[in-house]
Amino acid sequence: MAEIVIDRVRKSYGPLTVLKDFSLEVADGEFVVLVGPSGCGKSTMLKILAGLEEATSGTIRIGSREVTDLAPGDRDIAMVFQNYALYPHLTVAANMGFGLKMRGTPAETIAKRVQEAARILDVEHLLERRPRQLSGGQRQRVALGRAIVREPQAFLMDEPLSNLDAKLRVHMRAEIGALHQRLGVTTIYVTHDQIEAMTMANRIVIMRDGEIQQIADPETMFERPANLFVAGFIGSPGMNLLTAEARGGHAQLFGSAVPVPVGADGPVTIGLRPEHIAAGPGAMSFEARPVLVESLGSEKYVYFEAPEANRPPRTIARSDEDRRGERLIARLMNAGPVTVGQPVTLSFDPAKLHVFDPATGAAIR
Amino acid sequence: MRQSPLARLFIYASVILTCAVLLFPIYWLVVTALSQPDQLRQLPPKFWPDEPRWSVFGKILEERPILLWLGNSALAALGAVTISMVVSVLAGYSLSRFRVRGGQSLGLFILTAKMLPATLLVIPLFGIFRMTGLIGSLWSIILAHATLIIPFTTWMLKGYFDTIPRELEQAAMVDGCSPWGALVRVILPVSAPGLAATALYGFVLSWSDYAYARTFLTNAQGNWTANLGITTMKGEYISNWADISAAAILVALPILAIYLFLERYLVGGLTAGSEK
Repeated sequence: MAEIVIDRVRKSYGPLTVLKDFSLEVADGEFVVLVGPSGCGKSTMLKILAGLEEATSGTIRIGSREVTDLAPGDRDIAMVFQNYALYPHLTVAANMGFGLKMRGTPAETIAKRVQEAARILDVEHLLERRPRQLSGGQRQRVALGRAIVREPQAFLMDEPLSNLDAKLRVHMRAEIGALHQRLGVTTIYVTHDQIEAMTMANRIVIMRDGEIQQIADPETMFERPANLFVAGFIGSPGMNLLTAEARGGHAQLFGSAVPVPVGADGPVTIGLRPEHIAAGPGAMSFEARPVLVESLGSEKYVYFEAPEANRPPRTIARSDEDRRGERLIARLMNAGPVTVGQPVTLSFDPAKLHVFDPATGAAIR
Repeated sequence: MRQSPLARLFIYASVILTCAVLLFPIYWLVVTALSQPDQLRQLPPKFWPDEPRWSVFGKILEERPILLWLGNSALAALGAVTISMVVSVLAGYSLSRFRVRGGQSLGLFILTAKMLPATLLVIPLFGIFRMTGLIGSLWSIILAHATLIIPFTTWMLKGYFDTIPRELEQAAMVDGCSPWGALVRVILPVSAPGLAATALYGFVLSWSDYAYARTFLTNAQGNWTANLGITTMKGEYISNWADISAAAILVALPILAIYLFLERYLVGGLTAGSEK
């Protein structure tokens, strides 16, 4: 187990820079999740960390050693791949013991450690099988087993759950979490799934276009997003975004004046999470006419139009997913009947609003 | 979807017809070998000799150095395949995995070598082998066959390596292998079906060569390959086609045996299960 220090790592392919001065310090035993959309550079960073790709510049330290120029096998890390990358010609036991064998560990020690890892992961009965005889979940366990058997300084996991079905993913998510609790090995985990990031991480690193957007624990990430991108990325359904004109510490939202930070002046983007809207009157109430109601049993997603004055201009929207401003979502818990077209009173706590600079996207606090 | 009886009939008829067309020459070779020489040209032809002449095989093994010829053919084929496999594994793997400037053009250049007819290379190769003193030596056809085999097997193996996920060797490297170690310990064992198929292709190509053997080995009787040897059984005025056919069967047997031995590798899907 060891801390990992990544210092201003940059990766360019000719004129294209896919990682821009990535710096991160991971504490000993910490579980850090790199998350972001496809092409944000998170997998590239992981491969550089593993030594499978070379950084254009910057340094990496694992424990007390600088490993920037070391071969992958000399870095004392283990990696779990998205497609598991089990050796198809070897049995499960040989797959798990391969790394130890490469390091010249005596056969009895390998057998003992493979047996122990297999017991932890409940794959003892599969040790003599070949990967093609295993189910997806079993292969995933073997891939994890291959990593833990080495007792490395750190685990690197590259979207290890994305090939599993939804149910198994939830199960394995919990298992990886439990495994981390038990072994306490420093882990860097890459995913594009914000739920995986939120549920598993001690700290989350959100990336976009090769740059870190924010580094924070899941709660802070949710409560205090650093910018519009983070605000939109974390949370499901995504944050409602509205525009307003701020002046003298107030802005007009749903026809009422709401307090905004004094620093905000002129046009602002205001974020309101769907779960922060409640049914019935409250601190700040407004009337909405639902255009769509999705009932999930205990909770309802109520869609309604934003007031004309708070609709963002279309140019703000970056993608379909970001174009939430025109239609707002309220996530109502245990609400009474809500009917499409029938006005309903909703409310929110102004303290829960997030204010962003529409030009830079940065949060204003 | 269930096939209609007519469609099934058509499929079966096509398969039987194809097999008949492919197998008839072999069948006729056997009939010719087992017939009395004077029965070969009779009309109507007999589709199976009245008294099959099984002794023909023993007779030609006694009269002709067939085993020596077979041994030479085997040595030449094994030599050519060994050289070709070493070169084309490394070349195919490099073309598949490493992006280097001009790599793709280089790959296409290798392939164009395959497009040249083998006979086009006979004269330059003859010149080279005469200069190097290899005319009459088995090395001449080993090297000549390798020039024919390598372009194709390189591309065949490149295609095979392309289907193997890169993560396999990345996993091996994280586990402590050097790039070379990952190739030897992981990629090559996983590629066994591809290696078997390409090696077999090379072996058959070398085994069935006549032009190069005729050009480079004619004056070295002790180094004659089976194909070259058999042609010497054809006389100027009289040819004993029954004996020639029997010799041809003996020459074909090793290839048949190798096919049977490698069959399980050729159809094996060994990479199944390495990933999702």
